[in-house]
Amino acid sequence: MSIEIQGVSKSYGTHEVLKHVSLTVESGELFVLLGASGSGKSTLLRLIAGLLEPDSGRVILHGRDVTVLPPQQRGTGFVFQNYSLFRHMTVRQNIAFGLSIRRTNRTEQNRRVDELLQLIDLVEMGDRMPSQLSGGQQQRVALARALAYEPSVLLLDEPFGALDVKIRAQLRQSLVGIQRRLGVTTILVTHDQEEAFDIADRIGIIEQGELLELGTPDALYRSPQRLFTASFLGTANLLDARRSGESVVVNDVLLPMPSDGQYLNGHALKLLFRPEEVSLMRPDNTTSRYGLIGAGVVQAVSFAQPMIRVQISLTGEHANTPIQALLTASEVSELNLREGDQVVVGLRSYHLLPI
Amino acid sequence: MREITPRSPIAILLIVIVIGYAAILFIAPLVAVVQGAFAGGLEPILNTFRDPSVVHAFQVTLVLSGAAVAINAILGLTTAWVLTRHRFRGRKLFDTLVDIPFVFSPVIAGYAMIVLFGRDGWLAPPLVPIVFALPGILLAKVFVSLPFVVREVQPVLQTIAPEQEEAAATIGAGSFTTFRRVILPEIRTALLYGVVLTFARAIGEFGAVAVVSGNIEGYTETATSYVYRALNDRSTVGAYSVSVTLCLLSIGILVLMSSLRRRLNEQER
Repeated sequence: MSIEIQGVSKSYGTHEVLKHVSLTVESGELFVLLGASGSGKSTLLRLIAGLLEPDSGRVILHGRDVTVLPPQQRGTGFVFQNYSLFRHMTVRQNIAFGLSIRRTNRTEQNRRVDELLQLIDLVEMGDRMPSQLSGGQQQRVALARALAYEPSVLLLDEPFGALDVKIRAQLRQSLVGIQRRLGVTTILVTHDQEEAFDIADRIGIIEQGELLELGTPDALYRSPQRLFTASFLGTANLLDARRSGESVVVNDVLLPMPSDGQYLNGHALKLLFRPEEVSLMRPDNTTSRYGLIGAGVVQAVSFAQPMIRVQISLTGEHANTPIQALLTASEVSELNLREGDQVVVGLRSYHLLPI
Repeated sequence: MREITPRSPIAILLIVIVIGYAAILFIAPLVAVVQGAFAGGLEPILNTFRDPSVVHAFQVTLVLSGAAVAINAILGLTTAWVLTRHRFRGRKLFDTLVDIPFVFSPVIAGYAMIVLFGRDGWLAPPLVPIVFALPGILLAKVFVSLPFVVREVQPVLQTIAPEQEEAAATIGAGSFTTFRRVILPEIRTALLYGVVLTFARAIGEFGAVAVVSGNIEGYTETATSYVYRALNDRSTVGAYSVSVTLCLLSIGILVLMSSLRRRLNEQER
């Protein structure tokens, strides 16, 4: 366990930014804290680096309680959204800063800087000033500067937030490559779901100062335990449901209980299914291969590259809940779907969660 | 940039007005002072500088101005730092008050010092006298030149994002190292510019110094007070010679300032 956060709270005046947050990040893991702005994610990162002090709780890095230590003694590498390179130093001097204040000898410094320039693919840029680099290049230098002294953990605060979309995707991949190669335990903070899903070993969802749920991207997407997570990540179709014996009752129909659902009889539940799990059929041509949840009317068909989005309103108990479905173009043309068509809605897979 | 359109009569008029105004206000006086000093040849000038009280006046001026620069460099830097990096009640008011030496008449400032530090003043010094003594001159020079370093350094400090210091801290630099290697290189030129302005102002100060020092010949007399006394004594050559020396010093400072200003502008780019 590289990073252990135990019951950390932080308030500014009467505003509680973090509410008793606990988190463990394993060695070598790339952990992403995902949350909206103001959720407390950056505060948590700053607490780990020692740039802020918690009101209560403990921060443990590699078994060492660093809660009261200043940032200088924690040995973390921190990358800021605005790069924050030292403007009057060259790229090489920036990268070597951590080594030079540790009084590493010159030859070793140069060797290490060369190595890092290679790692971030900026070998030719060593003697440039930060102002002569593009944003993406500056952020790579900032990463190298934070890695130079072999930090115990790497902390990145929205590192790609100030870059345009294309550069962001490239840099993301090179970060993952570097992180894997060095095996440094990393926490990255972002509000960008796509980014989180793209790079994370595990994601933590943070909302209003609470760490709601942790898990692999896949698990959080498919089987979230919290309603917030379900609707925060991707598009969620949510219908009221309750358990009855070995079945789930939804929209007056019975569906088999999913294997991971262990809920009490009669309890109020939500049925979650993602748009891509929806299968649409003509009323005269249904199969019982999928869990059928009833009939509906097509409200809209639109192109959502590379899929087709179909909006359906169910008839019956859930008449007011629109359902989103994502179908391939060939599926849509096979069914010849048009607005106002009657369809039967089936689910390839679904998940239950408590309210 | 090159002028492409032919000059209009109004443009010519404006140029003439500006140059005429400059000529009357500072070129002509400079010429007059130089001419006056050399009117009787070189010998009277050399005699002036053989006068021990003149030598002493220059020593007092240079040493105390240097001390004022040192004090205002350190305290000015600290003030600029506090004003940019800390939020406290009354910060805005304090920020405004820093400019008081610019708007206060130096004579009144000198008088206030006598009231405060004089024999019966609230802050009457127990051991060494301040008023009518050298510490009073230093105090006066520090007071009138206080805002320069603050006002030059403050805007540059504002452009340094706090993340730079935070980055240095996470990398492992203590506050002294961060100041020396991250902050100081950024503000060096601005600080130097402020120091030069401070020095120029401290050397040239007369009003506050005259009131607080008592202008005692050979003791608290400064170069500018000497010029004033020499004029009163109708010793024009003495007044002119010392004035020319002070003018040359100022021109040197001006040249230094313009080269620093160029460096500051480059840095901003």
